[in-house]
Amino acid sequence: MAAEKPWRDVIDADALEKNWVTRVDVGPRRLAIYDTPSGIYASLALCNHGGADLCDGYFDGHVIECPLHQGAFDVRDGKPVSAPATRNMRVFQARVHNGKVQLRL
Amino acid sequence: MTDAIVTPLTQALAEGKLSRAELKSFMQRSDAPAFRRLAIWVLVLVATTTLITLAWNSWLIWPAMFVHGVVLVHHFSLQHECVHYTVFRTRWLNDLVGQICGLIIILPHRFFRYEHCDHHTYTQTAGDDPELISLPQSLGAYLWYLTAIPYWRGKFTEVFRHASGNLNAVEKRFIPKVEHAAVFRDARMMLGVYGVLLLGSILTGWSGLIWYWFIPLILGEPVMRFIRMTEHVGRPTVPQMSENTRTNLVSAPWRFLCWNMNFHAEHHYVASVPFHALPRLHEKLKDHIFVEPGGYLAAHRDILRQILRRPDTSGA
Repeated sequence: MAAEKPWRDVIDADALEKNWVTRVDVGPRRLAIYDTPSGIYASLALCNHGGADLCDGYFDGHVIECPLHQGAFDVRDGKPVSAPATRNMRVFQARVHNGKVQLRL
Repeated sequence: MTDAIVTPLTQALAEGKLSRAELKSFMQRSDAPAFRRLAIWVLVLVATTTLITLAWNSWLIWPAMFVHGVVLVHHFSLQHECVHYTVFRTRWLNDLVGQICGLIIILPHRFFRYEHCDHHTYTQTAGDDPELISLPQSLGAYLWYLTAIPYWRGKFTEVFRHASGNLNAVEKRFIPKVEHAAVFRDARMMLGVYGVLLLGSILTGWSGLIWYWFIPLILGEPVMRFIRMTEHVGRPTVPQMSENTRTNLVSAPWRFLCWNMNFHAEHHYVASVPFHALPRLHEKLKDHIFVEPGGYLAAHRDILRQILRRPDTSGA
């Protein structure tokens, strides 16, 4: 069985935009961190439809909307919510630990 | 690092035309402004419908149907906002209202959504923008476009093509394969609804559909063609949003009918901004976009000047 990936600090929890999406660059990856009513979630930042940066999009509850075409995803599981998004976006396990947002990347 | 694609929005943020905090503020959605506007919208529809009824046995029915038709064709503007999910904060309401608008003006909502996405990606790029309206080659071509006959011919061909399970090459580019069947189903359902309504009219002998819907739609569509031309026609066919799109300053009744879509350059800059915030966004961006202060008529004067000074290459 493959070993579980380790948790990795990516940003101070206090630095997140409340009830909104925050952009974080980790190595070669641009990530979107979402502060939601049910906790912190994370995904790749670029929309898998047109490549626009989701961090500039509208965020409401658990739905992130692409700023270019308004395709949308549920940040909890990455499922597409509305066209033209048709494929799951890649999401990462996230938690807050000792004041830091941690992800399994 | 993989970079995001450059969009008008990313450019505006990078160039400081818009701050992230302002963007967030402009994008906030709410159901209340839409319900307020829809309530007035329904009252306007009731009023124009009443006009037709009052004018039933006189020649005045024709101007009454035209006025009603102008309102009917503006369901396009509402549907367009629904395509962007910016009418209601509640997402499914945008889908529902968009479908209803599409049924009124014969424009399947899902198909329009996909087509319109490509319009935003390739605005004014010849060969790539599926909604591009070319600058007419002659005065005759300009007037022919405004009759809306070419529009209806294209629209009916499109709906029947989809209902028969076919897409053309351009459509295959912007509609993903997983959605082909749904697009075909939408077109068949739309034709099915029209068929049922038509059959009901024939069986009951009620001709209201013709006088309250079909003829007004035909009479009103040239006005929508006139307005749609002002958005991009005559602007440079370049990717720069500051150049290729025209914002038209128009009076309050027209702004009401078009759901503030006269602020078209602002809309293209940040398509996530709801209709009720576009006037505020205009104040922020007006020095960075092309604004036609004379409104729709001045835009057409500009279009006509361009048509009349170019050589006629239509061969007509």
